[in-house]
Order: sequence, then structure tokens, then C-alpha cells
Amino acid sequence: MSSEVEEMSANSIKLLAGNSHPELAEAISRRLGIQLSKVGVYQYSNKETSVTIGESIRDEDVYIIQTGTGQQEINDFLMELLIMIHACKVASVRRVTAVIPNFPYARQDKKDKSRAPITAKLVANLLQTAGCDHVITMDLHASQIQGFFRIPVDNLYAEPSILNYIKTKTDLKNAILVSPDAGGAKRVAALADKLDLYFALIHKERQKANEVSRMVLVGDVKGKSCLLIDDMADTCGTLVKATSTLMDHGAKEVIAIVSHGIFSGDAREKLKNSRLSRIVSTNTVPVDLDSDIYDQIDISPTLAEAIRRLHNGESVSYLFANAPV
Amino acid sequence: MGEIVIFGGDSHPELVKMICDNLAIHSSKVQMGKFSNGETSVSVRESVREKDVYVIQSGCGHVNDTFMELLILISACKTASASRVTAVMPYFCYSRQPDIPYTNKGAPLISRTSEERSDEFNKSLSTGLTTRKPGAESPFEGPESSIRSDGGRSEDSKPSSSSSNSTSNSDGIKKSVSFSRIPVIADGKDAGSTKADAGELFNAQNAGYKLWVAQAGTLIANLLTTAGADHVITMDLHDPQFQGFFDISVDNLYCKPLAQKHIQFGIPNYKEAVIVSPDAGGAKRATSIADALKLSFALIHKERRSQLLKGPPGATLSSGGTFSTNPKPLVSHLHSADMHPSNSASKYVQTTMLVGDVRNKVCIIVDDLVDTSYTITRAAKLLKDQGASKVYALITHGIFSGDALSRIRQSAIDKLIVSNTVPQHETVAYLGKDKVDVMDVSRIFAEAIRRVHNGESISMLFEHGW
Repeated sequence: MSSEVEEMSANSIKLLAGNSHPELAEAISRRLGIQLSKVGVYQYSNKETSVTIGESIRDEDVYIIQTGTGQQEINDFLMELLIMIHACKVASVRRVTAVIPNFPYARQDKKDKSRAPITAKLVANLLQTAGCDHVITMDLHASQIQGFFRIPVDNLYAEPSILNYIKTKTDLKNAILVSPDAGGAKRVAALADKLDLYFALIHKERQKANEVSRMVLVGDVKGKSCLLIDDMADTCGTLVKATSTLMDHGAKEVIAIVSHGIFSGDAREKLKNSRLSRIVSTNTVPVDLDSDIYDQIDISPTLAEAIRRLHNGESVSYLFANAPV
Repeated sequence: MGEIVIFGGDSHPELVKMICDNLAIHSSKVQMGKFSNGETSVSVRESVREKDVYVIQSGCGHVNDTFMELLILISACKTASASRVTAVMPYFCYSRQPDIPYTNKGAPLISRTSEERSDEFNKSLSTGLTTRKPGAESPFEGPESSIRSDGGRSEDSKPSSSSSNSTSNSDGIKKSVSFSRIPVIADGKDAGSTKADAGELFNAQNAGYKLWVAQAGTLIANLLTTAGADHVITMDLHDPQFQGFFDISVDNLYCKPLAQKHIQFGIPNYKEAVIVSPDAGGAKRATSIADALKLSFALIHKERRSQLLKGPPGATLSSGGTFSTNPKPLVSHLHSADMHPSNSASKYVQTTMLVGDVRNKVCIIVDDLVDTSYTITRAAKLLKDQGASKVYALITHGIFSGDALSRIRQSAIDKLIVSNTVPQHETVAYLGKDKVDVMDVSRIFAEAIRRVHNGESISMLFEHGW
């Protein structure tokens, strides 16, 4: 076995990036000290995607960085990723790893109504069909999505980076962690344990997707600096409502911290008019918010370190609890 | 097999309705939409348990969106226990992937939508012309195409001459593509924008590596199978070999019987007409129609090869019986001299030749797919130059992306005959009813669906049409 490994010629990391998040790709590439490989990913005038790989990648260890984002382009980005993976496979690479910080369609993960599509499973199948050998992602909406794959999936956590942020950038003594829904209670409780803070919970009754009706607060937030923790902020309906609920219950200030800041629809306006004093997200997706209300946590070191460890065959468990500095 | 259920995607509702009318059934309720974060949402409103499901979605419009819609719908039906799901794709997207078009400087034709992105992509793409598959002719032509020299286009508000377009190029593209993160390969008009970058793009650092464009065909076939499609019905695949990419059964219907009928009944004095293939790749398709109708045949051949140019720049390349279209062969310097000093005499020569006689004849250009329309408008111009009395264009899939329609309006094409595998409202509205004839393929598809559902042979549709 070991002799077999030795016989294989050494290969190196090739970083490829789609059009979804060039800044993140750039950050990962800087962190690893590896230039992004030349690729041309374009759209023909008939809206079909065209991929050109600008250098030889034969027998290399390829990492394609593409995140799920864009209100208009999300399917374009997904097709870009699939075609790039396929192109790499056709070009005889040794291994293709899709680095998908924000997994698209992660919320379509169950048949919650009759005949509802399980699109997350479909996306998993599409990635494997295209030839993906490994997936690196971050804070999956439901970690069970890993089970949709027959290939290894490394679901990294933004938590260590978020912990660092809370420790350094917030008023820790007077803080309380708040989960905006019951589903996130576990995540927030774990975080509260690590920070040795109290936590509160908001229970929401949801009638339709992207719509929130009534909110009930469990716990005391009077005079506290509330840290609202969620895995994703999309239309921000939940966050804004939770903020008013907290402020109505006498909170001193509310800071929202999310892993994936999608901020679609009229989220910008909603946030501007809300009583939130700050909104913080990681850079798994590109965010376009004014810096007076928005703060960003850079998770490119975690992704870069995961790529490095994966390439060298080292364990990535370390990253589940620690953020590389 | 359970009863038949038909779902229509968002791409072509009229065709869905017509197919259903032909089958005397209603299409089943399905709701397509988007979540606010852009993800496609599909909800199937009727039971499909143990049913024979047909999903109709053409690969047009915003292709990646419609294709994802199709995949999600197929997989939703599969998880909802449909007994069989058939994807009906009148136009099969990604079945033909042209090479990246190059300007005469050798830079790919890309419109930059924002400055910073452009820098990045200048860096990201280096070197070289792509290999060109023989027969697979790119419809993209650089600004050097002969149609550009056509004088009678001054009514067009957009600049049409390649020399003057560098200032206003990006506006037109921004209009058609409302979002900005994906760079767009523009059609030839925008060549000016990339001219300045050509040198930068040509820092050929990785010598020996030939740039290639990923062909998505196999992938698309596999994705459909993965989503759960059991059967595919489509029409006039660009490459018949495409059928072999699938592990499931594929029925490739032909528009040919319908096209023949349109020639016989729609073109006065059709027996005197000449069938013309606009490129060598389509010769087989065109000859089969010519043979069936006992018409004569002509072929347009486009040559683009690197060779040492002998003689003065005005020299033409012609051999016995062929005509050179362009009084001046299109010569372009591929590399600037300092990069390839030894190679500086090498020029790219492009000539277009017509094989066959069309003088005073009615010409029918036959092609399976028209996208940017460069090939077909250039062909029409050439035919008129060679004395054709009238030029028809007979097309199965009319995508007409970018400025294709305005180009066709100004071209020498007298009449366009196109099928409705892709919605043709805009075409009719833009070119006028008397300039466009739409062939209705819904009967062919309806009959194919009926036969597939009943387990009957569909070979008869190949021969006689419907």
C-alpha cells in the first residue's frame, strides 16, 4: 500500500474559481500562497455557460471554489460549477474537490409537502454525476445533507471564527445569546456553553416560507446586549422581527451574527429600518451592505487550511474547534 | 403504465398548450417560481403516483434556469413515485457548444461588464486559438465577416462598422444581461472592447498547452439521467451522436418532413430552388432534403486556416468552380511580432466559398440551429452576391440571441421559415408576419408522446411527419 503511494508522482493543488465569489477565491489563494489557475468561465449570448481551462491540470489535485449566491445567477453558478468539474474530469485530473462555502438549495432538503422536490439531494447527485470526488462546505443548513452524498463531505463550521469575533468585538460581560428559532437552539446552546453565557430562545410560528407571523420570547434579556445567532440570514424577516421582540422586552442592543449572509429581496431596506445595531456575517457569500451596520468575519483561513489538510491527507477535525489565525 | 400526465415548464407555455390540445388533455398543474434568494422552487400540484409523466421544457430563455427547473421537476416527479418520467426537450440546450469567438487580434470576444472583473479575467485567460472541430462551425464571427462590409445598414442605430464600435459596445450587452458577475461572450459587434487586451491575453506562458472549451454535452445527458429521466424526446439534435451520450432511450424527432412540406407548399416554384447548406457541417442535413425533393444543392464552405499568404493582400483564394466571397481575404495578425518573431509571416486567412450554381435561382438555406445568425446572414449575402434571386432560410431551432434579429432584418434573407421549438413571438413581432413563417412542431411532439405512451413505434414520424 505504502509503496503504491510512493510510486505515484507528487501532484499539487490547483485552485479554480467560478464567477460567484472572486474575492473569497482570491483570499483563499493568498492564504495558501497558490495562484488561482487560469480559467475562463463565460456566458454565450444564448445564455449557455462556457468553460475554458487555461492551463494543464492533468493529474493534479483540483479545488473548485464556487458558492451558492445570486438572486439571478444561482443556477448559472451551479451550472458553472458542474461544467467546471466535468471539464476537470475530462482533463484527467487526479481528484476534483468542490469547495462550496454556501451550499445552494440546502433548504430544499426534505419532502415537507406532497410532491415537494428534495433539491438538495438533486444537487448532491448532480455534483457526483459531474465527477466531483470530494466536497468541502460550511455550516450546512442541515448536517444530514452530508448523507445525500456517496462521496466524502467535509462540513466545516464557522463557529470557531464566530467565537473569536464575539470574544474580541462584543461586550462579553453583558451579553446574552439568542436563538431566533427553535431549530437553532442547539447551535446557540453549544456556543453559550463555550462562552459561558446565558441564552434565550425565540419561538416563531411560520405559516409560509419566507414569512414569519408571531414570536414568543423565552428567557430574560432586560438590559442585555443580545447576540442573535443563526445559520443564515436571507430575507431577514426573522431577524428583524426577533430584534423588535427583543427590544420590546427591554434589550439594550441587538447584534445579529449569521454564517451565511444572503440578504435577498428587500433585506437591505429592512435592515436599515430595523432596530438592529449591527449585523455580522461570514464571507461565504458576497455581501453588499453598508459598513456602518455590517461587519464581516473572514472564513477564508478555515477553507484554505481545510484545502491544505485535505491535499496533504491530514485530519480536518482540528478546524471544527479552532479557527486558524 | 398509468395514465398520462403532462407538465409544462416555464420556457415555452404556448407549445405545451398546443401539444396538450393535440392530445386533447390538459396539462397538469405545476407551479414554478423562485425563492427570494434566487433558488428555483417547483411545486407539483397533482398526484403523479404510478403515472406516465411527460415534462415539456425547451432549452431556451435563461438556459441554466430552465434546465434546473426541468431537473428539479423531473426529480420531484420521481420522488413522488411517478412510474416513468419523460423529458420532452424540443430544443436540447448545450447540444452545440461553439468555440470562444476570437477577434482578429486573437482575443476572445468578451464584453466586460465591470472594470475590476475585466482585469481579473484578462489575467485569467491566456493564449491561443482553440482547436476547431471539423464540421462544427462556429456561428460566431469576428468583425471581419464579410457582412460587415455591407453598406445598406445605415438605418441601424447601433454602430455597424467594426472600426467605430469601440466606444458604445458595452451598453448594448448590459441591456441584454441585467446582472453583472458573469462575463459575457458577446457577438462580433463588441470586438472593439477587447482589442486593447489582446496583447495581455497572449502572454503565452504555458507553451504546448492548447486552450480548449469544455463540451457540456455528456454532462447534460448525465444530469438528466441523474435527475431521474427515463426517456428523452427531442428534435433535430445538432450531432446525431449526442444520442449515444445517454444511457436512457432517446427519441430524436426530425423536423425534416415538416420542412419539406413547407418548401412544397410555402415556396412558389420550389422545383427551381436550390438547397444551400451554410456550412460544411450541415451538408448532410441539407442534402437529405434536397434529395427528398429532387432539388439541386449548393454548399458554402468557410475556410480559416493559418498559412503563408502569397501575393498582394488583395489576392483571392479561389480554385476551379468556386467563388471567393470576399474580394479581400480576411487577414489578421494572430500574434504581435515581438512575441513570435520567427512566426511573424504567418497569417490567418479566411475565405468563404460557394460550391454550386445559384445564379437567378431561389435559394433555401437549411440549418438546424441559428443562434447569433452570423453564419446564416453571411451565407445569404454571399448567395445574393452570386446572383440568387431570392433567399429563404429554413431553420429548426431559432434561438436568435443577442442582436441576431436585427442582423437578420438587415440581411439579404427574404423569408425566414422557423419551427416553434423555441418561442418565436419576438421573431414574428420584430420581422413582421410576412417575413417569417412558423412551422408548428406541436403535432409531431403530441403524436410522439401519444405513441411513446401507448408503446407504439414512432419510426413513422421520421418519414412522413405529422
